[in-house]
Amino acid sequence: MRATVWIGVAISAGLMTSAAVMAAEKPQSVAEAVAIATKLAHAGGPRGPATPGDQAALAAQADQIAAIPAAWIVPCLAAFADATPAGANWLRSGLERAVDQSGSTLAVEPLAAVVADVKQPARVRTLAFSWLKDRDQPRAEGLLDTMLADPALDLRREAVEKRLAAVSATDEAAQKATHRECLAAARDVDQIERIAGWLSEHGEKVNVAEVLGFVRKWRISGEFDNAKGVGFATAYPPEAAKPGSPEAREWKVVESADKHGAVDLNAAIATKKGVLAYAVADVVMPRGGPAEVRIGSPCAVAVWVNGTPVMAHEIYHASEAIDQYVATAEFREGANTVLVKCCQNEQTEPWAGDWKFQLRICDSVGSPLATQAASEKTPN
Amino acid sequence: MLTTRRLPLMAIMLLWSFSSNAADWPEFLGPRGRGVAVDQAIRTTWSEADGIAWKAELPGRGASSPIVVGDLVVVTASSGARQDQLHIVALDKATGRIVWHRRLWATGRTLVHPTSAVAAGTPASDGKRIVALYSSCDLVAVDLAGRLLWQRNLAVEHPRSGNDVGMGSSPRIIDGTAIVQIDCQGDAFALGVDAATGEDRWIVPREKIASWTSPLAVTTPAHGDCVLLQNPQGLDLRLAENGKSVWSWKGKCEGIPMTAGSSAQLYVPGDGLSAVSPSGTAAQPAWRSPKLSCGIASPLVWGNSIACINRAGVLCIGDTADGQIRGQVRLAGSFWASPILAGSTIVAANKEGKTFLVSTDGEPKIIAENELPGTFTATPALADGNVYLRSETTLWKVAAP
Repeated sequence: MRATVWIGVAISAGLMTSAAVMAAEKPQSVAEAVAIATKLAHAGGPRGPATPGDQAALAAQADQIAAIPAAWIVPCLAAFADATPAGANWLRSGLERAVDQSGSTLAVEPLAAVVADVKQPARVRTLAFSWLKDRDQPRAEGLLDTMLADPALDLRREAVEKRLAAVSATDEAAQKATHRECLAAARDVDQIERIAGWLSEHGEKVNVAEVLGFVRKWRISGEFDNAKGVGFATAYPPEAAKPGSPEAREWKVVESADKHGAVDLNAAIATKKGVLAYAVADVVMPRGGPAEVRIGSPCAVAVWVNGTPVMAHEIYHASEAIDQYVATAEFREGANTVLVKCCQNEQTEPWAGDWKFQLRICDSVGSPLATQAASEKTPN
Repeated sequence: MLTTRRLPLMAIMLLWSFSSNAADWPEFLGPRGRGVAVDQAIRTTWSEADGIAWKAELPGRGASSPIVVGDLVVVTASSGARQDQLHIVALDKATGRIVWHRRLWATGRTLVHPTSAVAAGTPASDGKRIVALYSSCDLVAVDLAGRLLWQRNLAVEHPRSGNDVGMGSSPRIIDGTAIVQIDCQGDAFALGVDAATGEDRWIVPREKIASWTSPLAVTTPAHGDCVLLQNPQGLDLRLAENGKSVWSWKGKCEGIPMTAGSSAQLYVPGDGLSAVSPSGTAAQPAWRSPKLSCGIASPLVWGNSIACINRAGVLCIGDTADGQIRGQVRLAGSFWASPILAGSTIVAANKEGKTFLVSTDGEPKIIAENELPGTFTATPALADGNVYLRSETTLWKVAAP
């Protein structure tokens, strides 16, 4: 009886899918398929579905994409360019159903070409790589050999893993050289730490904070009142006046020696609750234009670059992580000023004692950009 | 128009509808979130080598429980260096074979504490569709064939929703409304959407405070289908259909273990355990027991009994009438998964992989300790006497006796 029911269920599941696809008209040409895919990929705009009724229409369009022949799948990948968050998932859901049904008819070389094309969006290349790997693992993994500096982070990570796995187990000099090469290539923090750990174990000291590019030299001003959280929205002199100006309050120079570049305000000022502090850093950027400000903190934080607000997060003691909050800011070539406001609340739990932050400035794949002068001076 | 061509399909779908109603475990803590299956007897002992019908490696990690819908076992996971690949996997209940596998990109934040996961909320099903909520605040629905029906990218719609400890609340479907609570320090709200279309039925703001509890279905004689929402500041009972407030109760509540019980009496973890008696549009405390204390796991209520596992791993059984302790037994390890009841046996899985079976006939007594490898924070599921245990990356089916 159970087997009978299962067969019924399996058939019904298949028929339900087929019926759904039958209900929507199959695209008649690759151009029509790409047009539907493009429409699907732009679903809803940046803030979600435009109108509630869109969802059924989008599901029907995804059904149309699910019905395309294997040869049209790769051309439809182009539709991911400028996809909305929702649209990317709608398109992916349709394409992956088409891929599931394509079996061996989905050719590997067009997929390999997409993976190798660094001009394609990272997400598209990573998706193509996963499909390629399912069909021809050696072909997919062969492509990784040239991807140590790939702009697609997931592919770059796999390339680093492959290079590490291939290193000779007996030649320590070659092992060290490979690990150094991979340390320079890696952008994921866990991978960097693992490689740095191996090098340290083998006699090569690595400064992880330097590799990750944390801004470590700061001038600190505090404390200011943050009882009941009032300080987060209060513009005290350091943010009201020109950042780092002498009139703000006494500034104290601090240089982080932490492995992850953390600036410990409990140590720099005092272990207190219901207070806030400002930190200013002078950084040098190799070029002008947009760059990512990446900050991590268990406390509420706000950041300005050259006096312009970049981000503000009024969240207290809900975890912390490197690159916890990321925002893009405009920088000048050469000297720039970064101001951080870091607020401690009045929670009394033992895990709510940390008052600190860490910050780095990177490109979109996490390569550090900012440098600092060898020494800092306290403003007069 | 019904054509003869479609009749076989209709017949098969009818067969499906019959099969899907039997012995389902369709949401977090099973039917209506009670965690109780008094009609199910399970095997007493199992191990990797004995009593396992099948095991399946999952495509990612998660702390969500499996659900059982018809002949499918459905589980969620996330993968990737940034845990931004979201998965819904449906496996054949009989064999563990993957029937379908849907993948999505997370559209919200995917930072979580290592003890949690992006796939921490258990999906819910009304027998026609499956609704899943991830820590990234992506709320999605697929049909039983894995076809994406709708998605709500709640962190896109409400940019300051979510938290970096990880959101752990599960969706609940009550009379066609899929209800989620997004409790966090940023944009906190509860949302009811049409489970069929994903369209808003209601949305209400919540206190800006984190919690990891899930909506609970409560039916009252006066108001019908309601949903109970809990955060550390109290309880909030609302009509499931339109979100209108029925009553609220301010009192100390835990942020992780969730309230159990029914409209007659609710048992609220917080400073021990409190019984709260709803009456009309208000709720009054009935008793409080400091000894009935919950750690992470939610309390379990059946008949006139209530069981809690405290942070020290002691399982206490009390009387629902007055909170008096009837008995207790010391388990071992830490308990993130909530206990469930099969027949008269409590099933309590600790994080380290040991599942304790505790007899509740008379004094509570450990009758078996069954170990599987892995880290287990997901509450087990039950169906047809089979126990489904999900470690971080593996799903195990313990065969019925």
